[in-house]
Amino acid sequence: MQTARSAALAALLAVLLVALTAGIAHAHAVLVASEPADGAMLSTPPQRLTLTFNEPVSPLVMRLLGPGGTEQDVAVKQDGAVLSIVPGGSMENGTHLLSWRVVSADGHPVGGTIVFSIGYASEAGPPPVANTAVGIAAWTARIAIYVAMFIGVGGAFFVSWFGSAPIYAVERVLYAILVAGLLAAPASVGLQGADLLGVSWAQLAEPVVWRTGILSPYAATAVLALIAFFAAQLSFSMASHRNAKIASAVALASVGLVLAASGHASTASPQLLMRPAVFLHALGIAFWVGALLPLAGLLLARPRDAHAALLQFSRIAPFVVAVLIVSGTTLAIVQVVEVSALWRTDYGRFLLAKLALLAVLFSVALYNRLRLTPRVLADAPEATCSLARAIGVELVLALAIFSLAAAWRFTPPPRALASLTATPVAVHIHTQDAMADVRFEPGRAGPVSVSISLLTGEFGPLEAKEVLLVLSAPTEGIEPIRRPAQKGEDAIWRVPDVTVPVAGRWNVRVDILIGDFEKVTLEETVDFRR
Amino acid sequence: MLRLVLIVAFAAVSAPASAHVTLEKPDSSVGTSYKAVLKVPHGCKGSPTTALRVKIPAGVIAVKPMPKPGWTISVAQGKYEKTYEYFHNAKISEGVVELGWTGGSLPDEHYDEFVFQGFLATELKPDTTLYFPVVQECAQGLHRWIEIPAGGKSAHDLESPAPGLRLTPKRGAH
Repeated sequence: MQTARSAALAALLAVLLVALTAGIAHAHAVLVASEPADGAMLSTPPQRLTLTFNEPVSPLVMRLLGPGGTEQDVAVKQDGAVLSIVPGGSMENGTHLLSWRVVSADGHPVGGTIVFSIGYASEAGPPPVANTAVGIAAWTARIAIYVAMFIGVGGAFFVSWFGSAPIYAVERVLYAILVAGLLAAPASVGLQGADLLGVSWAQLAEPVVWRTGILSPYAATAVLALIAFFAAQLSFSMASHRNAKIASAVALASVGLVLAASGHASTASPQLLMRPAVFLHALGIAFWVGALLPLAGLLLARPRDAHAALLQFSRIAPFVVAVLIVSGTTLAIVQVVEVSALWRTDYGRFLLAKLALLAVLFSVALYNRLRLTPRVLADAPEATCSLARAIGVELVLALAIFSLAAAWRFTPPPRALASLTATPVAVHIHTQDAMADVRFEPGRAGPVSVSISLLTGEFGPLEAKEVLLVLSAPTEGIEPIRRPAQKGEDAIWRVPDVTVPVAGRWNVRVDILIGDFEKVTLEETVDFRR
Repeated sequence: MLRLVLIVAFAAVSAPASAHVTLEKPDSSVGTSYKAVLKVPHGCKGSPTTALRVKIPAGVIAVKPMPKPGWTISVAQGKYEKTYEYFHNAKISEGVVELGWTGGSLPDEHYDEFVFQGFLATELKPDTTLYFPVVQECAQGLHRWIEIPAGGKSAHDLESPAPGLRLTPKRGAH
């Protein structure tokens, strides 16, 4: 039994390693040309769009987003290395976005976006959103993994370290939870791939989806989770008590590593602080929550034997809770950055909801510890049942918290949002005739707002009749984007929204009309971040 | 190959037909009369031209616009920067500084010319370029041909250059 399991584990690991390294050495497909070109300004709507690659590719996802983010149906035809995309209806004027993802011969997906405008540049649609059904499935899989990690592995740890004689009902439940985890972990790799690719439910069977999931950092998490679940299951079948303890301890440590391996918090800096904090946080949860199910089982099945375990648990629990609070606070501080983000961002609201549930959970736990536990130990009648029920409440609360934590993956933390809202870039242009401070906010590709302050060459006020902002990127083949600026009451000229379709070096030109026949032109270059 | 030759030949032939408002005669010597013919090749993004206004640069004196059927001439008189010598030692210190043709309608698909005459003062420096900034007003929108190339740059780099006149040295004694 044991050797068979170990062999299976080894084989699984080998397969995963091969999958992880396969495909890395191959060259991926490259987009050679597109019609219209990225950033092109067209006078009339194109009948078709074409993408030309360096090798034959097959289309995976094609999304054509019009101004305001409305998605348009497209028909895709493949002819070797050329893909033709025919819009289902007529295309409106404004900025359009073709988000494409294809699979090349090596099975690796490649993606990109072309931005082009018809008539005039407008705000392009938002980037494609992930598929909801796939997202919900990925969420469910993650809840199953959390339950297996904290209730399953944590339970196995408690049983082997604190339990006396085994209670088979409890072990069967734990075993089933771990089996669910063993199924959910590989499934979540595929779901993660589907989520990353933004493909639909129907495409889940495609190998590329799984390969994407396996190549993502999340794969390490899944492998560690599998190890944890296997080791926890092993601990139940170990003949020797000592070996069972070792196996369950390995499982518990793996749970810590699972969460430390990937995710928002683990990848945040400072890594030396964040990874151990995540590790300890996970260990604490597994220890505490894992104890609940076996404790309840013990109380109901053999109240007499429960005393020793309850005493031991009650002695250790306060320290574990302290570790949980300290590590959790550390993580929250780094991730949330500022207090107002708690209610301004989805991530913050999730955290607040989780904290609220935690407060309830802690009060139930405190009540159990201070009121019910002494009564159980004093053999008060009915106390055992009350405690078992209260522990059940704790388990339900823990489950709710897991569901919230699993949903967290859909919301980037304020820390990540803050770095997305990149700092503005500004350029100062000074000539004999005039000078201008041109400020782009944010300083990255995408929709930006521009403010232009004008002064004469001698730092005097400059009365302009009209101001025109012209952006172009000759090296990227992007033709000038012209936007008239509006004068504000503060004498600053503004272009509230102009789309910079691609990152890189752009020419900034400010045409200042001073008189009917007199114009000053200021030119400079500015770099937009990705 | 033949196709390439044809393309190059076509490009060479068609290049001078500019899409800008230009002067028909792009050079003239100082100290002579100059008949300025402003060529208007198109309207403003398809909209018909309804007015053309020209700013007369310093040194272009005694300007007289040529009447044009269907258009009303408007003229702004002003004092010159200095007093210039005209024919037969006459002195001239004021005159037309801005003129325009208004009230007409020149469809985008038609071509027309707007003419005025002036004298290029002897004080003007040869081997420089004079610019005549033009505002083309249309039924919808307007187009300003007022860009003047900065030192070292060519008018070819500009999107809407002002019509330029290259000045050449005065020809012999009269």
